[in-house]
Amino acid sequence: MPLLLTSCSPLRRSLLCPVSLFFIHKTANLSLIMSSNNMADPRRQNKILRYKAPSTETNVTLEDPTPDYMNLLGMIFSMCGLMLKLKWCAWIAVYCSFISFANSRSSEDTKQMMSSFMLSISAVVMSYLQNPQPMSPPW
Amino acid sequence: MRTLYLLLIPALLLLLAIPVSRGRYNDDFDDGEDLADFDDNDFAEFEDMNDDLASEAETTPPPPRASPSSQPEEEEDEDEATVELEGDQDGFEDSDTQVADGPGSRDGFSHSFNGRKEAKRQISSAALQVPAHLQNSWESYYMEILMVTGLLAYIMNYIIGKNKNGRLAQAWFNSHRELLESNFALVGDDGTSKEAVSTGKLNQENEHIYNLWCSGRVCCEGMLIQLKFLKRQDLLNVLARMMRPAGDQVQIKVTLNEEDMDTFVFAVGTKKAMARLQKEMQDLSEFCGDKPKSGSKYGLPDSLAILSEMGEVTDGVMDNKMVHYITNHADKIESIHFSDQFSGPKIMQEEGQPLKLPETKKTLLFTFNVPGMGNTSTKDMDALLPLMNMVIYSIDKVKKLRLNREGKQKADRNRARVEENFLKQTHAQRQEAAQTRREEKKRAEKERIMNEEDPERQRRLEEAAQRREQKKIEKKQMKMKQIKVKAM
Repeated sequence: MPLLLTSCSPLRRSLLCPVSLFFIHKTANLSLIMSSNNMADPRRQNKILRYKAPSTETNVTLEDPTPDYMNLLGMIFSMCGLMLKLKWCAWIAVYCSFISFANSRSSEDTKQMMSSFMLSISAVVMSYLQNPQPMSPPW
Repeated sequence: MRTLYLLLIPALLLLLAIPVSRGRYNDDFDDGEDLADFDDNDFAEFEDMNDDLASEAETTPPPPRASPSSQPEEEEDEDEATVELEGDQDGFEDSDTQVADGPGSRDGFSHSFNGRKEAKRQISSAALQVPAHLQNSWESYYMEILMVTGLLAYIMNYIIGKNKNGRLAQAWFNSHRELLESNFALVGDDGTSKEAVSTGKLNQENEHIYNLWCSGRVCCEGMLIQLKFLKRQDLLNVLARMMRPAGDQVQIKVTLNEEDMDTFVFAVGTKKAMARLQKEMQDLSEFCGDKPKSGSKYGLPDSLAILSEMGEVTDGVMDNKMVHYITNHADKIESIHFSDQFSGPKIMQEEGQPLKLPETKKTLLFTFNVPGMGNTSTKDMDALLPLMNMVIYSIDKVKKLRLNREGKQKADRNRARVEENFLKQTHAQRQEAAQTRREEKKRAEKERIMNEEDPERQRRLEEAAQRREQKKIEKKQMKMKQIKVKAM
């Protein structure tokens, strides 16, 4: 571009100057935009990796044992309540199954939860059917 | 759906409790009038005087009347005289015997009547001590009412806690969405859909844990963000937190490609967190053996400590911008861990050391504390945005950070040392494992030979096996000879 300008006559030079400047400006802008795009947009569609749920061995923190323990406790208490006819056992079983439900993971089977609920409720109901008297406090 | 179930259950309980308790005492409630008749019939012979006394007896404590009426079944089974819970048995008996004398004995009548009055008073006083479970009122079921109230409180707390956690997660995502979408091609993925399309929402693991997977960027494979909130939905946890305050946490794990990071191990965080990580994490315990250094040497607040493989790494990572970020948000930073040998926490195995070195992955881990220490509001989530900027900056920085020649050599030597140590420790076990494998092979071959039906082939196989054994023994002898010669 500069060479062309020097070889031209002054008249042409005066005409070409703004045009050349305009073009230089444009290309400079374009290269700037392109480089800034590359720098500014770090996203790469081709580098996408799908989500893989972390295995339980590596992710100990996700393995909270509370819901499983509470489930087991609930079942034990409800069996005690049913067989030994202890009302307080049955009530504790209801509480245990509620706690287990509140702490459970969303991937867990709801059937398991519902079955422990139903077992504890049935323990309470059976205790009261057999013995409708109110529960006496331990003190 | 879940909450509906929860509400149904106490409702069911209450409904069941009502008929059960009513059923028994239905008849007895109607006996009020009959009892007056009962008394009248009994004392029919003393009718004249009886009217006054009957009315008197009925007016004097009417409430205790209810109690003896509630024990008619039991009382009827026993003798009349055995309302002798307390009080003068003798007096009562006397009056009884006197009454039994017959209607003619008017002299003893006043006596016996006083005796009856006495008896009634005794009944009423005894009735005041009737055990609660034999009274028929809702108040006697106060334990049950307490239990059901407790359950209702638990359910209310569950709903409130769940909603709060959900709102906090959504607030976090809303404030960070723009930044993430401008940096990652895939924001939000649960791994189940066929196409890699951004779901644009968080995965809910639990009522208190939310995940977000972002991928599709230069310099990294992907970023997993975990919002670990407090268990606000569990009343027991809420009560435990009153004793021991805790805060919500945001954990970010960035996995890198092999070429994205040079070989170094580095960590910075609160002193407590650093002490814990140094003990728990496999790579930090192996490569950063020294005690955590105070952060004040590098311009960080005193509350933070640094664990590093070598000084050059710390100088490289702690440039001005990082120091600026960390100093400004020191209260929110729990730990920052960069490692090319990350393999998670140390695994305690029962059979001693594992036979293989655990798999390592180039990872950047960030753990941030949400401000508010449990009493967070949705506005606090905006305060975490600069920390996400720091994460993005770190990813780019780690890509550019390269150790010089000396540093690289030192790092390589460290890694070789660790591997050697590991091999030495497991040497005995690996030998054992190799021995068992060889024996297995021999046994398998012998079995094959035995199973061959054709005796000719059997013999040939046996001979081949023997020849192989011979060759092995010869080879070993040769080796030993060579070693001896060399030693000489």
